[in-house]
Amino acid sequence: METNKGVVDEKALKAQKSPSGISIIWRELVKDKLAFGSLIFLVLISVFVYGTAIFLDQDEIVTVDLFSIHQPPSEEFWLGTDYGGRDIFGQLIIGTRNSLTIGVLVTLMTGIIGIVFGLVAGYYGGHVDNILMRILDFFLVLPFMMIVIVFVAIVPKYSVLTFSLIMTAFLWMGIARLIRSKALQEKELDYVQASKTLGSSNFKIMFTQVLPNLSSLIIVTMTLNLAANIGLESGLSFLGFGFPESTPSLGTLLGYARNPQTLEFRWWIWVPASVLILLLMLAIRNVGEALKRATDARQRRG
Amino acid sequence: MWKFTVRRLLIMIPQIIALSIVIFVLAQMMPGDALSGMIDPNVDPERLEELREKHGWNDPWYVQYADWVGGLMQGDLGQSFRFKMDVTELIGQRIVNSFWLSLATLLFTYLIAIPLGIISGRYNDTLLDQTITGYTYIGFATPLFIFGLVMLWVFGFMLGWFPTSGSVTPGLEAGTFEYFVSKVNHLILPALSMALITTVSTVQYLRNEIIDTKQRDFILTARAKGASESRVYNRHILRNSLLPIAAFFGFEITSLIGGTIFIENIFGYPGMGQLFLESITMRDYTVVTAVTLLFGIASIVGALLSDIILSLVDPRIRIK
Amino acid sequence: MAFLEVKDLKVHFPIKGGIFGRTVDHIKAVDGVSFELEKGKTYGLVGESGSGKTTTGRAIIGLNNITSGSVTYEGQDITNIRRAKSSVRKDIQMIFQDPYSSLNPKKRVLDIVAEPIRNFESMTKKEERIRVQELMELVGLSPESILKYPHEFSGGQRQRIGIARAVALKPKLIVADEPVSALDVSVQAQVLNFMQDIQKELDLTYLFIGHDLGVIKHMCDHIGIMYRGRYVEEGTVNDIFTNPQHIYTKRLVAAIPDIDPNKRAEQRAFRKEVQTEYEQSFNDYFDEEGLAYDLKPISDTHLVALPEKG
Repeated sequence: METNKGVVDEKALKAQKSPSGISIIWRELVKDKLAFGSLIFLVLISVFVYGTAIFLDQDEIVTVDLFSIHQPPSEEFWLGTDYGGRDIFGQLIIGTRNSLTIGVLVTLMTGIIGIVFGLVAGYYGGHVDNILMRILDFFLVLPFMMIVIVFVAIVPKYSVLTFSLIMTAFLWMGIARLIRSKALQEKELDYVQASKTLGSSNFKIMFTQVLPNLSSLIIVTMTLNLAANIGLESGLSFLGFGFPESTPSLGTLLGYARNPQTLEFRWWIWVPASVLILLLMLAIRNVGEALKRATDARQRRG
Repeated sequence: MWKFTVRRLLIMIPQIIALSIVIFVLAQMMPGDALSGMIDPNVDPERLEELREKHGWNDPWYVQYADWVGGLMQGDLGQSFRFKMDVTELIGQRIVNSFWLSLATLLFTYLIAIPLGIISGRYNDTLLDQTITGYTYIGFATPLFIFGLVMLWVFGFMLGWFPTSGSVTPGLEAGTFEYFVSKVNHLILPALSMALITTVSTVQYLRNEIIDTKQRDFILTARAKGASESRVYNRHILRNSLLPIAAFFGFEITSLIGGTIFIENIFGYPGMGQLFLESITMRDYTVVTAVTLLFGIASIVGALLSDIILSLVDPRIRIK
Repeated sequence: MAFLEVKDLKVHFPIKGGIFGRTVDHIKAVDGVSFELEKGKTYGLVGESGSGKTTTGRAIIGLNNITSGSVTYEGQDITNIRRAKSSVRKDIQMIFQDPYSSLNPKKRVLDIVAEPIRNFESMTKKEERIRVQELMELVGLSPESILKYPHEFSGGQRQRIGIARAVALKPKLIVADEPVSALDVSVQAQVLNFMQDIQKELDLTYLFIGHDLGVIKHMCDHIGIMYRGRYVEEGTVNDIFTNPQHIYTKRLVAAIPDIDPNKRAEQRAFRKEVQTEYEQSFNDYFDEEGLAYDLKPISDTHLVALPEKG
């Protein structure tokens, strides 16, 4: 065989290179004005809260100041103060940061557990699937809210990490089920059989062959999960079973509104946080739905 | 059919056993004695040890578990430390309120979902449909507790149309007409708040289902045969699209359980969810374990109902 | 010693039933199949859909569990070979029926064709790329298109990519599971001829599974005919096409279309005759369950499943 046979000009290769699936989805997303706007909004908010939070001293903000209890918005306190005289605006920034952090953390952890669990169950099928699905069914019927609340109430010292671990323990089932049902279909396709005859190990087939085919499903689901997890976290904090007051979240600020006086007369404490949560949830959902449309469209085109 | 139901019922048994074990373990982690409620959880550890010895609570875990389950079978859920009464009795008072709240919520959910879903599906892509779709889109993104707070603020405090807490105006005598009206009046706002949020998935499902059915061949055939538009909808499309909604009923129960905790808390409605939160703050752990167990069983039964209804509606599910 | 020997191969699938999902019965997809492959030749496995021919092929390569029987490759027992990286895996490769689902849609052609190379050989990125481009040229595709995705190719081109992948490790035996039945007729001949070319070039042995007797006649040296998981007849191309003994084979052979319009009436009469014979003597050729009897030799190369006389 001639030495140079088969060596092709890199330029010719580049010219024929097709765009990858992710880059096509990205292009679709940019075209969708509402979704792209939402994405920019999310990026700006994140940059702002993470950036500002570096300069804000969380301890100082959450320190009780008895001389400035329940002050309406003013020059000094842009959004007034709470019953402990703490600055609402500062709490809002730190709260957004904490809520986002835990939302992302829980989404990633549930995602990883769910993907691995679902892939293994769906790919192996049979007895493995049966056993794993029984375990999953069991987690699914547990009264999630109550068990998390009980955990938070009885675990003596909990931090951002333990709290997200507790949430993760009860939130991985949805994505696992989705991945499993898709993997069940996917493994019947010949490309999986082909990989087996080509000497790829099951592990390799699962994670390098099947997984890429689930990527768009995973991206869409995790985006929508992010919104749901932020909602859940703020809900738990709202009830007083999320973060302690020393680590405010968006839900903590809303929790003050459980006091009828605050709800009725001191809107500045809870309305901004409500609006912010709502905007965050809508923006994330916009991005998620647009991703879903983009991947659907791509599938239609083949 | 019966085969599927029996198999599904058999699956339920290990689920309930596993649930009871999880709750038992949780109860063991709680301070005091969460299963019987006879010991003050705030008592100092040394005295606690004495009491444990006295009551035989240092038995191995499986003996304790067996005792607890045996008690449960006879309807003995232990003693409330706070109220000094049987938990069974305490729950009996609250469960009625929760039952009415759930029933009202379900009623509102379907009253909203069915007309909106049908309109949205039948006249899809009209302005009306877009409005409804917009509502479901925002409803999906809105956390229940924020919506509840806003509803309470607007209709309870600012407009004053509805009472802002409790399940009945104090001082009214049970059985009178005023009592009944007051009960209903206290129910409407919390039930409506929850229904407006939980209904959106049903609206969306119904809409998609109708749009899907509209393009099926048998509908085209019915049209081609000359059936009137109202006949096509009433006889063919709705029959096919409404049945799956029935299957949502069981899932609805599960989501109600999570929802009532928030809604009862916001509206100060004395139901099971509120009892749960109060008890956990007061460290009345016997009540906590009992309520968790009951809610757990309720959601297991809800899933069971869904699966059975679903298998009635869709015969394909029975095979697997 | 035969190149590949299959002895009394059985593949049974359980049927689950009852409340506890216990195994209540079995589907006997392959039930006692034996044959031998000669090196460098093509062996055709023929049958209608559901006859177990694909299952046989997949069992040999290890995609289906073998219930009993043995598969011997160059004297080595490979019946239960499951390990991903064995030299046998390297030697026996497969071409799949559906060129659409057998290539991973999320992978570029480079990654698809290089998958076996990455599993068995350690090459640098550059060597690997050159090897893939050589393979692309071998199967008659442009080496510049290795960064494309499978959906950008036509069915015939995709099947060529599948073949390039199958021959990447220089295998000795290729199980070809109806490699052209998903392709347009115009492309079929192209792919078949090309398969014959690389057979000569790489000294390949084919186990060719198919239902189209025309294709089988064109490709194969030996043929085995399957019906409901069992062999009904086995022999050389000549044995089967000029001297079919079993009524089932006769009917199959009679059904091959003839392009000569002058013989149309003759053909039709012949087919009718075979059909009546098939209906009348079905019970003589199959047992009470409608399954074929055991094979009995009628010449050195020709075996037929006929009942015991008497």
